[in-house]
Amino acid sequence: MAPIRVGEPDVRPDATAHVRGVREGNALGSYEMEPGHHLDGTADARRSTGIRPGERNPISPSMPNLPPG
Amino acid sequence: MTATEQMRAAEKPGQIVEMAWDPITRIIGNLGIYTKIDFANRRVTECHSTSSLFRGYSVFMKGKDPRDAGFITSRICGICGDNHTTCSVYAQNMAYGIANPPMAEWIINLGEAAEYLFDHTIFQDNLVFVDFCEAMVKATNPGVLARAEATASPRAGVHGLRTIADIMRALNPFEGQVYNEALRVSRITREMFCLMEGRHVHPSTLYPGGVGTMPEPSVFTDYLTRLMEILDFVKKAVALNDDLFDFWYDALPGYEEVGRRRVLLGCWGAFQDPSVVDYRYEHMTDWGRAMFVTPGIVVDGKLLTTDLVKINLGIRILLGSSFYKDWVNEEPFVERDPLGNPVDMRHPWNQTTFPEPQKRDFGEKYSWVMSPRWFDEGSGEHLALDTGGGPFARLYVTALAGLVDTPYVTARDGAVKISLPRSRTLPAMDLKWSPPAWSNAIERDRARVYFVAYAAGMALHFLERAMTRVRSGDTRTFTDFEVPDETIGCGFHEAVRGVLSHHMVVRDGKIANYHPYPPTPWNGSPRDSFGTPGPYEDAVQNMPIFEENGPESFKGVDVMRAVRSFDPCLPCGVHMYLGGGRTLRTVHSPMFGASHG
Repeated sequence: MAPIRVGEPDVRPDATAHVRGVREGNALGSYEMEPGHHLDGTADARRSTGIRPGERNPISPSMPNLPPG
Repeated sequence: MTATEQMRAAEKPGQIVEMAWDPITRIIGNLGIYTKIDFANRRVTECHSTSSLFRGYSVFMKGKDPRDAGFITSRICGICGDNHTTCSVYAQNMAYGIANPPMAEWIINLGEAAEYLFDHTIFQDNLVFVDFCEAMVKATNPGVLARAEATASPRAGVHGLRTIADIMRALNPFEGQVYNEALRVSRITREMFCLMEGRHVHPSTLYPGGVGTMPEPSVFTDYLTRLMEILDFVKKAVALNDDLFDFWYDALPGYEEVGRRRVLLGCWGAFQDPSVVDYRYEHMTDWGRAMFVTPGIVVDGKLLTTDLVKINLGIRILLGSSFYKDWVNEEPFVERDPLGNPVDMRHPWNQTTFPEPQKRDFGEKYSWVMSPRWFDEGSGEHLALDTGGGPFARLYVTALAGLVDTPYVTARDGAVKISLPRSRTLPAMDLKWSPPAWSNAIERDRARVYFVAYAAGMALHFLERAMTRVRSGDTRTFTDFEVPDETIGCGFHEAVRGVLSHHMVVRDGKIANYHPYPPTPWNGSPRDSFGTPGPYEDAVQNMPIFEENGPESFKGVDVMRAVRSFDPCLPCGVHMYLGGGRTLRTVHSPMFGASHG
């Protein structure tokens, strides 16, 4: 910082970024762990709901499975 | 540097008056324009552009978690923050060795297209046009207004305004029909943006590796209905802009010299193509050329390169008139890029920021803005590139490169063709933008409205591609990754007003160096260590003055038109003084037009 005088920092610059022990969303394997997410990029109703998801899948296998939000 | 030829014949003895507009505020920093105007010969003789605000992002980013970079750098700007997030995501993807899934890439492209639609519309119609509205023209060039009353609009059949004066009246702030319609449209385009990126202007659903937007059919149909709703406005806007600017050249012969400079344009490309981009530096040339706005550099009307690797390696951050200590004696962070090419010490990857606050002295140091330049190996020059306010460079490079080919937008034979489908009241329309003869204020402004049409056409293309994926059941929008301990990355994007790059160095899993370079440092830079003026200074210096007012009631509208054509964010407050500090107006808000001039 050249000639500018600054005080000692109170906290580490990355203090708010991550708390040790908490799972990180970007961690490898996160995608596979998500319910209803398939490896080929498709998903089923389990992506959106845990309540009888099978009944919310499309009635025809040829239809795209688009979870309701 | 200026292309303007001075008319020396019959020159009268100079009556030099100092004029300053400080601040011409924008979201990031305070921009001031200090000029010396020769009223006898009606010309600007000298210009300095200065920023009085230090931000220090490159200083306080050090030591932070790199995954936070997109969220932090978004706060650089309150109007194009999402461009920073997007650019940071690109840089981080390179650093982590990942790519966004295709669906995420289409969603980002749709969000960014909405941002261009929003921002260009609000800037052009609610800010730029204040300088061209009836109230302003009546106060600065009454002769032009009288002529406008008698001039029929050639394209009145499209926009419905019978004379040029009717157009000017429609631009009057708060009252004019176009002014108010633009406000309504900017709300709709913001809604489009929020559908894709969650929140405007700091996205909540944009991360390295993808997006958090749920790709439901209704998200895309909601976007499409809004897009179709504004297409009428876009078509009318192009016709209206053409009418107004063509009239301006006719009514004020020689106006092409206002804001004119050499054609020195840079564009870093926008809208990634997910079928090509893998964010690996080694393939950057290929995926750069596949972008839906082609990156490149144009010098004197010739396309120098479209290679992002070459563009990256040519960037130099010069000092000279900036309040910083040099960093060349520091240890470099990146000596060679991943392809083995040497990286200059003045490259952003190696830059260290040492602020040195001091008194402003126009003979020495006078700005917090550094001087980004692009080193041209061919000529050995450090080129002071400008962005032409964004659209001008984007259209220019894309037109000359001829690489873009989509159903709605194509670049061929040195021009860009935009095909917009039928909308609520207007039929399908083909628009064509060809590089004009000059790089000046009028052409920068005209390009802006054509890029609105470009972004609308591209959004239609992105929607179709995204919907095709939805129909195939593809809902994957994110990729997982680990942050390497040691890595580097760079992102290239187009902020709304021009080139945007983010350069990142990670050590021990934390940011060791991070340098965002948005467009306004390029456009608003001061004289560099070689004495080359920045683009604002260059464009305004030696510029003729067409305003009919003398020094006592001078508004400086021609200077403002020149500076605002570069889109220096939001010019919402101008402080103006004359001569030895005698204050003419303490607050000058150009939005209010004549009565507050």
